[in-house]
Amino acid sequence: MRYLLAVVAILGGCATVEPPAPVSEPASVPIPAPPAAIENPAVASLMDGARADVAAGRLVNAAASLERALRIEPRNPRLWQELARVRLKQGDYAQAESVAARSSSWAGGDNRLRAENWRLIAQAREARGDAAGARAALEAAERQR
Amino acid sequence: MSRIRIFWRELRDAALSVIHRMSRPGKFWRYLRYTLLTVALLAASFTLYLDFRVRSEFEGRRFALPARIYARPLELHAGLRISQASIVEELRQAGYRDAPREGESGWFARDGDGLEIALRPFVFWDGPQPAKRIRVAFENGAAASLRDAEGRDLPLVRLEPLPIGGIYPANNEDRVLVRLGEVPKHLVQALLVMEDRNFYVHRGFDPRGIARAAVNFVRGRGLQGGSTLTQQLVKNFFLTPERTLQRKVTELFMAVLLELHYDKSEILETYLNEIYLGQDRDRAIHGVGLASLHYFGKRVEHLTLAESALLVGLVRGPAVYDPYRHPQRALERRNRVLLETKNQGHASMEQYAAARTAGLGVNPKAPVGTSPHPAFLELVHRQLRRDYDETDLRSEGLRVFTTLDPRVQDAAERVLERKLAQYEKEKRFGPPGLEGAIVVTDGQTGEVQALVGGRDVHYRGFNRALDAARPVGSLLKPVVYLTALAEPSRYTLVTPIEDAPFVWKSRGAPDWEPQNYDRTFHGAVQLRTALAQSYNAATARLGTEIGIERVLATVKRLGIERALKPYAAMLLGAVELSPFEVAQMYQTIASAGFRAPLRAIREVTTQDGRPLKPYSIEVEQAIAAEPTYLLTAALQEVVREGTAQSLKNWLPPESAAAGKTGTTDDQRDAWFAGFTGNRLAVVWIGYDDNRAANLSGAAAALPLWGEIMALLDPEPLAPPRPDGIENVLIDPGSGLRADGLCPDAVELPFARGSAPVERAPCASALGAAVDGVKQQAKSWLERLFGQ
Repeated sequence: MRYLLAVVAILGGCATVEPPAPVSEPASVPIPAPPAAIENPAVASLMDGARADVAAGRLVNAAASLERALRIEPRNPRLWQELARVRLKQGDYAQAESVAARSSSWAGGDNRLRAENWRLIAQAREARGDAAGARAALEAAERQR
Repeated sequence: MSRIRIFWRELRDAALSVIHRMSRPGKFWRYLRYTLLTVALLAASFTLYLDFRVRSEFEGRRFALPARIYARPLELHAGLRISQASIVEELRQAGYRDAPREGESGWFARDGDGLEIALRPFVFWDGPQPAKRIRVAFENGAAASLRDAEGRDLPLVRLEPLPIGGIYPANNEDRVLVRLGEVPKHLVQALLVMEDRNFYVHRGFDPRGIARAAVNFVRGRGLQGGSTLTQQLVKNFFLTPERTLQRKVTELFMAVLLELHYDKSEILETYLNEIYLGQDRDRAIHGVGLASLHYFGKRVEHLTLAESALLVGLVRGPAVYDPYRHPQRALERRNRVLLETKNQGHASMEQYAAARTAGLGVNPKAPVGTSPHPAFLELVHRQLRRDYDETDLRSEGLRVFTTLDPRVQDAAERVLERKLAQYEKEKRFGPPGLEGAIVVTDGQTGEVQALVGGRDVHYRGFNRALDAARPVGSLLKPVVYLTALAEPSRYTLVTPIEDAPFVWKSRGAPDWEPQNYDRTFHGAVQLRTALAQSYNAATARLGTEIGIERVLATVKRLGIERALKPYAAMLLGAVELSPFEVAQMYQTIASAGFRAPLRAIREVTTQDGRPLKPYSIEVEQAIAAEPTYLLTAALQEVVREGTAQSLKNWLPPESAAAGKTGTTDDQRDAWFAGFTGNRLAVVWIGYDDNRAANLSGAAAALPLWGEIMALLDPEPLAPPRPDGIENVLIDPGSGLRADGLCPDAVELPFARGSAPVERAPCASALGAAVDGVKQQAKSWLERLFGQ
């Protein structure tokens, strides 16, 4: 009996040399899903204003509108992402990259949003002449699918 | 220009003809001639000198305008957590009236759960917002809806930001410039009636005015100045206040010269902007533009006849007729002005009667001086100085939009004042003289919402929040743990740390033997417990294991620019930092390792609203998300079951706040630093002379932190879980892996793959048996293959 168990264990053990998977799934806290779209009308109006400003080339105003929105919803990854986009357009590549990363930190399970952030980071790195970094970011974007 | 030339020619001709007539032979006459010539030359050069001064100073004269500092504008939208009372309070402070005034802006009216506001126009940095009427409905402590006058939903409305002071010229003169065309006619008429009836006809001085003053004086109507407006202006502009004949003559000369160079409207406009009309603590109120805002909360063009008369009455003695301190005297003076104005035919009997019966109508506004929040203003001033010249700040009239949240600032000020007064009464912590400082920020953006530099919150003195560098004690421990947790292969939240006697030897320094606060050692404790209970020996051991230099590098990455010396005692907080620096350090932790420099300024515009360089949110990933998340969980445990447990007296457990207490040697300083889902605050309490006391972070600083946060609708702290983190059930006693069968199992976060493999005794027997056999088989295989 003991030998039998041992054989079973060896077979099993060979397959799982790494530590067992977490056993805590049922108790784990659900990660709050980020809002699929912007629900707060105040934030939505600021976002619209920011997009209109970008279209008109008023990038400073666009960034300021997004900051106003962020003060209302600092955890909204879409606002951070939009701000990253504006920073990229402004040629502030370091901030574009940091702000995109900040967006991802709030992205929760939204892989598409995360992938888009990686693409923004890739563009920022590309613009700074960091081709290898840009490639790595694009690969990270691919992995988010 | 031609008038002055004619004047000179006349003067020269007159002098020459006098000299010519006197030029007869004879010694006496010759002397006389020379004397007269000398006198004439002296007089001419004196006049030339005065003329030069008048022209250069008047022409080059631009009033020095202080930089005007504003709080954040309240962004009103449906869903905002705010009570009707706090909006009303903010409107009151902005000088809005609590009653409808049709056709005007600048008032509000309450009905039940609704609030109607007639917003004044305001030029924000990104453009003007016209006057508008809005309606807000409140429900359960939040704005339920926001509509315009026609009942349409408005997504967002910015209220006018509160002015919170200025950066003033050296003499603390404050003014708001107006054009003559903006000043109501009745104000100008009343002014001329009272001060200078012949203004439009005299040439700088007025013999008839002097005669009338003399007659009035003889008749016993009191002393009235016979000075013209021009003379008064000259006096204020160029001269010192002493009363000598010489000065009187100079004044007269200059007045005449002024009239020769400039027309009446220029002189009148300058007078209206220059005139001193009151005192607000250390701030001098100059000009009718600022005076109307100061006394009536409205722009000068909207002043009524009665209000104008009050201002005109103040010209003769802003202190004597101060409507706040001497309302009766001010009223009598105003009515006197009204009467004279009517008698001179500038007001009808009806207008006069109506104005006379009006109340004083002044704003019920507390004096604020150069700022009601001097400590915050100083931070703004310092941050401005990085980009602006000091002279420009004090004279260009820049408009500075800051991050100050009046509601947060008020809460911090009130709590500090009240708590310190209470502590002194109880004599729990030491003798009188206890001081404190508070910094509150938005944990995500790094915006400074409040800053209190001492218990006398209106006193512009030693700013402890910025300048008191004090040992931070255990507030530094989280940095040690953060550095450790960045190495998940060595340290997790449950890694045992030895809390036992510990000696650190280093060359050239005495041995360092840290003691625990409770004077006992606790043996092997889990890392999270060592932080939660703030064990010194365990922390010292951990810090020296990972290396002092590495801990210092983390301190720097968190945003401390001050160079710190790599002494081992640093690990336990023998590091002097200001509350502001501590806030910067914790801000990086609160925002998932993204450092955002603490900012007090959002935007700056020129005097006429042209935007200058904005101060935007800047973030930089300074610490990886995973260790920051783990540390935050540990700091939540400090509050849940560690040294900051008593926070439950102020915040419900659901708020899941994270924080750390700090106490220094001989209980000289008490600290508490921590954050909720939306705010971060740092509280310091201690004595300015750094005396030994009886302070502790938990007993003295924490209650202030709790009270402030409780007043400000704290949001629960639920940081997003980074990708590289997994939650694992742990048996809290052993720190080993648990499962559903373990009664007290807790779920703890771990960097992926770093959680303990070994199962706790309480875990399911089957799982444990399988693990055991696996272990056996593994060692059997190892033996087999000779490893």
